[in-house]
Amino acid sequence: MSRFDYHQPESLADAVDLAARFGGQASFLAGGTDLIVQIERGRVAPRHVIGLGRVPGLAGIEVNGRIALGARVTHRAIEQTPALAGPLRCLVEGAEVIGGHQVRNVATIGGNLVNASPAADLVPCLLALDGVVTLVGPGGEREIPIERFLLGPNRTARRPDELVTRVDLPALPPRAATAFLKAGRRRAMEISVVCVAARLALDATLERCLEARVVLGAVAPTAVRAHAAERLLEGQPVGGEAFRRAAEAAQEACRPIDDVRASAGFRQHLVGVLVRRALDRCVERARRAA
Amino acid sequence: MAKIPITLTINGEPHEALVEPDRTLLDVLRTDLGLTGTKTNCLDAECGVCTVLVDGLAVNACLYLAVVAQGRAITTIEGLASPGEGLAPAGALHPLQEAFVEHGAVQCGYCIPGMILSAKAYLDDHPRPTEAQVREALAGNLCRCTGYQKIVDAVLAAASRMAGGAVAS
Repeated sequence: MSRFDYHQPESLADAVDLAARFGGQASFLAGGTDLIVQIERGRVAPRHVIGLGRVPGLAGIEVNGRIALGARVTHRAIEQTPALAGPLRCLVEGAEVIGGHQVRNVATIGGNLVNASPAADLVPCLLALDGVVTLVGPGGEREIPIERFLLGPNRTARRPDELVTRVDLPALPPRAATAFLKAGRRRAMEISVVCVAARLALDATLERCLEARVVLGAVAPTAVRAHAAERLLEGQPVGGEAFRRAAEAAQEACRPIDDVRASAGFRQHLVGVLVRRALDRCVERARRAA
Repeated sequence: MAKIPITLTINGEPHEALVEPDRTLLDVLRTDLGLTGTKTNCLDAECGVCTVLVDGLAVNACLYLAVVAQGRAITTIEGLASPGEGLAPAGALHPLQEAFVEHGAVQCGYCIPGMILSAKAYLDDHPRPTEAQVREALAGNLCRCTGYQKIVDAVLAAASRMAGGAVAS
């Protein structure tokens, strides 16, 4: 006997209606690489699973100045979309280090966000790009910045009857570049010990930072922006002293834990190293593109 | 809770099944259809022994619900060799299978169906891979006999044969 009933709505309205009817007893299914594991381990036991495969309009990537990523966009699709290979490169770098090809071929951006693992690799990238999540529920549609969407490990601002439909990324200013770096114990198939996403926009001389984002993953209950580090970068000449101070501020902003993968102290050390490297990489990329 | 009828095209043949919605493609392939070439192990997307191709893309069948596979084309290890004639179960081996045999790229063999299917999906998109690319392509497939070198050699040899020329270094 099946542990759940399976529903295959063919429209967004039907998907939301089903979720409203079953409330907390229902789970949406996108790629399933988190949900099925959690069901098999007994961590969640939905009575109803609402498959999203037939709901139109959730799997597209729109590029039109700003970027709109449908909730069912896979990691593979992010890796293979040429429009994401330029200033938005951190997204590709975050997508291509998750699991093996078998996972990336099905795992989705919406799933990665809703699962809200503190170590999710795409989430810091979306934060660095000022991503805004759109949720659709019985009361209609609402938008919420990712920073306020993430509440804690496996906890988000999504209500049980709401579906994440897309993530919007505003257009980047000129001379902007991004980078994502991840430290794990091996190169592939690894949960991040620490990951960092950074974004810089440079002035016309390519010597001064106009705008900065520094985001840390796997060192706090959610991915976190290091706002103090960003303020130390904006308006300053790039490199050396500013990057060293920003890295220190990022280390102060994180609250890592000791676990089987690394000690808190080592994680804090890695934050400093990766932030400096990610910022250097942003400068290189912005200058090369200019 | 209701069973759901599904139609799957497996190795080119249509199959119908009536499945409980919580059952995985892996379970249905092995238990209902007797296709035991696809292996069961971690059930956690870590090891890759359950790798099959769905519409040409490698997936972990252990985390893929059978009902989600409705209407899709599935390739398992049983479908790689060309069909046999008469009473012969299979005709010529796929170049990847041949290369694994020639290179002795098998110890216990449990990981090999998944390795070969991951390699096939990758080579279909990237006919002339480097060694580093082959290793990355197989990152989601673990071999606990530690036979990776011969496996990588076999995939590179098969790529060369399938592309009909030299492999990029």
